[in-house]
Amino acid sequence: MNPPLNDIAAQWITLLATLMLVLQLFMVVQKELTTNIRLFALQSFLLATVAALVASTARAWHVFFVAALIAGGKVIFLPWFLQRLVRQVQISLESKPLLNAPLAMLFCGGLVLLGYVAARPFASVEQPLNNILGVAIGQVLAGLFMMINRRKAITQVLALLAAENGIFLAAISLTTYGMPLVVELGIFFDLFIAVMVLGILVYRIRETFSTIDVGRLNQLKG
Amino acid sequence: MLLILLLVVPLLAGVVCLFIRSQRVLEALNLLPFAAVAVLACVLGANVLRNGSAEALEGFLYADGLSALVVGLTAFVALVCSVYAVGYFRHELRSSKITAKQFHRYYSLTPLFVFAMLLVTLANSLGVMWVAIEGTTLASVLLIAFYNERTSLEAAWKYIIIGSVGISLALLGTIFTYYAAAGVLGADSSKGLNWSVLLPLAEKFNAPAMKLAFVLALLGYGTKLGLAPMHTWKPDAYSEAPVPAAALLGAGVINCAFYAVIRFQVLATKCLGVAFPSKLLLLFGLASIIVAAPFILAQRNYRRLLAYSSIEHAGIMVTALGFGGKLGVLGALLHMLFHAVTKPLVFFCAGNVQQHFATPYLRKVRGAIHVLPASALLLLVGVLAMTGTPPFSIFQSEFTILSAGMAGGHGWLVALFMVCVVTIFAGFLSHIVRICLGAAPENTPRAIVCPWKFAAMMIVLLPVIALGIWLPRPLFALVQAAARITGVAP
Repeated sequence: MNPPLNDIAAQWITLLATLMLVLQLFMVVQKELTTNIRLFALQSFLLATVAALVASTARAWHVFFVAALIAGGKVIFLPWFLQRLVRQVQISLESKPLLNAPLAMLFCGGLVLLGYVAARPFASVEQPLNNILGVAIGQVLAGLFMMINRRKAITQVLALLAAENGIFLAAISLTTYGMPLVVELGIFFDLFIAVMVLGILVYRIRETFSTIDVGRLNQLKG
Repeated sequence: MLLILLLVVPLLAGVVCLFIRSQRVLEALNLLPFAAVAVLACVLGANVLRNGSAEALEGFLYADGLSALVVGLTAFVALVCSVYAVGYFRHELRSSKITAKQFHRYYSLTPLFVFAMLLVTLANSLGVMWVAIEGTTLASVLLIAFYNERTSLEAAWKYIIIGSVGISLALLGTIFTYYAAAGVLGADSSKGLNWSVLLPLAEKFNAPAMKLAFVLALLGYGTKLGLAPMHTWKPDAYSEAPVPAAALLGAGVINCAFYAVIRFQVLATKCLGVAFPSKLLLLFGLASIIVAAPFILAQRNYRRLLAYSSIEHAGIMVTALGFGGKLGVLGALLHMLFHAVTKPLVFFCAGNVQQHFATPYLRKVRGAIHVLPASALLLLVGVLAMTGTPPFSIFQSEFTILSAGMAGGHGWLVALFMVCVVTIFAGFLSHIVRICLGAAPENTPRAIVCPWKFAAMMIVLLPVIALGIWLPRPLFALVQAAARITGVAP
């Protein structure tokens, strides 16, 4: 069961989680691909910090390991891999999104509200971490929205990764320790393979269609 | 030991295949391991029937009746697909549709794909099961992008993006299940996602969390299963993948996804009662059957036709689970079994027709019976079996499911179900009769029978015909053992 965290740590974690959501909102309206990747790296860094805080205050050593994985994988390796992909396909600017920036922002505001409504039954005074569940769900929803809103394949990959950050936050908020270690490792493994495979596909789409605009993938119908 | 072997054999085969160039050796390294897996799956079935369940690696792997049934189906489908693949890819190589590199890619990815499918059913932890299901997606994406055409890239992109969104919802569902269980698990939380730990405690779970968990898991694994409205990846993926890979998706992965749905349904039913999960299952199940019907009637591409049929059958299984009761669960599991046995036959015959006529479009194919007598005849048989015509087995499972619906007092839903199934039957028959019968287009040569493909079709034909009139006692006992884990012992 969740051990009680001390108040200061809980407040720090809440602050960091909220900052992650703010970064997510920046990503939703940011058009420059390289900047977006940097925002994602920063968001992952905050997530790693959250995990490290949880690990040190709850004395759960396997969570440290997870924090290190996040730092190594999502802060350094994946952003590097995606930056390299952006250079390879030589496309760095997002095309016109479905909803323009102010509308997208407004919509995400609604999604965050929805996240809070969905998380209400789980709010509690004894478990302050449970209260960041609303932020986490909001972040997942904003990430999924970003995926629909954007056209460039790389941005969709980034949106998926950001949504995954939100899921991770939800796991920490609900269970403190996160999932059992073997599951965490499996999830990380899948995530890396997924990004590799997506990278291969992005590259091939670029070669074949001479664009990475997924709106052009529209031949299969019925 | 048995459970470990079941996983190690395909994994090892896949890894070795990565370094092998010889085409004959690659074929053998798929055929032999899958044959071994099939034997092991039979042994596992017998073991589970005798002992109830099996565990390995300190409870990391776990198999009960349901796992054994799905392992058996996966092994069967993998084996027949690998036999068919030999003929299929040799033909593709000869007609230079593919390069040696692509040939190598298929044979090295497929064992990994099968490994992931087996891990889904043998993992004790719901978290590891999630990892394995995502693994099936990742192993099969490059099989869908196989032909490197514009359309195959499009299909692969949609498949991985829709699949990943779905699967991330399922991950949230898994996390919520963990949270729902956390209150009753106590200190031992490192094994807190293990099925064998969760099942006895499910009544005491936190209900609101379990409710949310079930909704998310159903949405997530339902995407993988191809339930409407998350089914849109399916027609694209099935029509673009090479036939053996499509058959693995359509007759193998579908069972794994359904397996995951059953696991969550059992936990949710224990915690929340029958009503809530049933309502959701019926909603998604019937929606899928209803969505499939018009698309089957108006279809122009026979590979996509098969995908919509698969959406329909996924819908039928989920509906059966929603009807519930002894009959509903039994019907769902029998349907999964019969569907997995029948579907490869139809895929193989359709694949032969496509390789011979070099087009997936219905209007361009006529008189297949004159140029491809065996495949066209078996295609007719397969389609009759698949659409639930008596005396074939699917008729029996559908009949059981309808009885379950009537017994549960769902008269209107049963009527709707029947209207859709009959419509789909009519649609299928009119399409398939048109491509099989009639006069073949001029200067279409008569096909040479490929022994590998023919053998694969015969291996599948045997159970398709036999299961209609005779369900062997051990097999039925296994289905019953699987039904027992849902708590409604027949």
